[in-house]
Amino acid sequence: MRSETTKAMVELKGVSVAFGEQYALRRVNLKVEAGEFVFLVGATGAGKSTLFKLLYGALRPTEGEVWVLGQPVHRLKPRELPYLRRRMGIIPQNYPLLSHKTVWENIAYGLRAIGYSEQAVRQRVAQMLALVGLNEQARQYPHQLSGGEAQRAAIARALANNPPMLIADEPTANLDPDTSWEIIELLLRINLRGTTVIVSTHNRTIVDRACQRVVAIDRGQIISDVPRGGYPIELERLYPSVAL
Amino acid sequence: MIDRFRFIVNETWASLRGNLAMQAAAISTACIALILLGSAAMALYKLDALAQSLPNAFEASVFLHTTVSRAQTLKLKAEIEAMPEVAQVVLVPREVAWEQEKQKYKDDVNLADLPNPLPDKLIVRVHQAETLPAVSARIAQSPLVDEVIDSQAELEMVLGAARLVRWVGLGTGGLLLLSALLLIYNAVRLTIHARQHEVQVMALVGATLRSIRLPFVLEGMVQGLLGGIIAALITVLSAGLLSEYMVSQWPLLKDMPPGLPPGMVLVGVPILGMVLGGLCASWATLRYVRI
Repeated sequence: MRSETTKAMVELKGVSVAFGEQYALRRVNLKVEAGEFVFLVGATGAGKSTLFKLLYGALRPTEGEVWVLGQPVHRLKPRELPYLRRRMGIIPQNYPLLSHKTVWENIAYGLRAIGYSEQAVRQRVAQMLALVGLNEQARQYPHQLSGGEAQRAAIARALANNPPMLIADEPTANLDPDTSWEIIELLLRINLRGTTVIVSTHNRTIVDRACQRVVAIDRGQIISDVPRGGYPIELERLYPSVAL
Repeated sequence: MIDRFRFIVNETWASLRGNLAMQAAAISTACIALILLGSAAMALYKLDALAQSLPNAFEASVFLHTTVSRAQTLKLKAEIEAMPEVAQVVLVPREVAWEQEKQKYKDDVNLADLPNPLPDKLIVRVHQAETLPAVSARIAQSPLVDEVIDSQAELEMVLGAARLVRWVGLGTGGLLLLSALLLIYNAVRLTIHARQHEVQVMALVGATLRSIRLPFVLEGMVQGLLGGIIAALITVLSAGLLSEYMVSQWPLLKDMPPGLPPGMVLVGVPILGMVLGGLCASWATLRYVRI
């Protein structure tokens, strides 16, 4: 039977993901409304990346429903996924900038791939560079950038198509505390412009400092969901050495 | 539309540039395979034309000794006509045949001053092709007859040669083509692997599968096309040179029916290479490019 559509940006209903006998996610329910800023926190291997992959259709749930921007991702055909992804800014953890392209070209590349005209590409890239503060680094290659600048370039690329939602998987991984906070500040600014932002992290300091909604996940299950708070006490108890 | 086309062309160019050694291997193997296939096709066409030009399987040519008089020839003609298997006997007098030969080779050699070396010839046509060998054997027993040429034997020889060319040419060419296709597949697979980040970026920003796969398919088509163009040029040039050399050595070969038109090879072989390259690349992208 067809389920009701949802008006939430993201809604997971009883979602499980199993790889053989092993469950990466187990009966997860989550709802994110438009305009929210959500931290998804948990230790490495808790299921954060699996949950993100479900959102952009790189994985299918073993059971349950995944709704993103009103679309039933769990039953979208591969040919329908690109049109959903155009409405999402995705910053995955393991796919950095293209090393042989400049910052400008990296941002333009995504736009060209989805059919933007050259004139529109020039306009959008200029806007994105200004938004993330990388005008001076536009002609630099990724190896010439600092970690924070590279991450800002990745954010610019994800936002270039002006999506209503941004998901970032561990955007502060391998960054020093000051740079990590710079990135979170940028994401908070983007959120204030109306973009729904979901960020996964296990960085306790930035979660405490940002004071936004925090969803904690452990061994594939959501163990707490606090509307405005810091790093969840439950995770601190479970993994005292992980939270920085 | 133009911007999208430019993006796809740029991506294809980036793919081709990325792995030059593998591209060269794929193009050269495709080229060798297509040369073999093209040559086999040209030889088969020629042999087929030759078989078509031969007298039909119901005929035999009876050459008499040059010393046989016209009266003896006519007597023998009547004897052959009396055979129940024989449908018709046509006399080709030696002087008529000699005139025809002089006309035919007037541009190459001057035969006018030479004595006529040709004998009278009888063309014997039977009712049923399978009786021809027996009729030929009976006629050959006559002391007036120098040689009986059974067109069925000639036809068999040409068809045998065609079979040989077909099996050897197409077999070897087919095997090489298979390896060329696997090389193109492998080249495209390696390119996909080398450009994994681009593929991931395109997939995440929402490029359609077709947009992501098309540059790789075009890469395979370009490899096949380049291999095909080189193969077609080499095949046509060598066939032309070989044919020229053979005619200069054996002027009689001028009477051979014409071969496959070079234009057909120059267009057909590159198109074949392009289509096969595209199919191989599509196969690789279907397996390795996913979103």
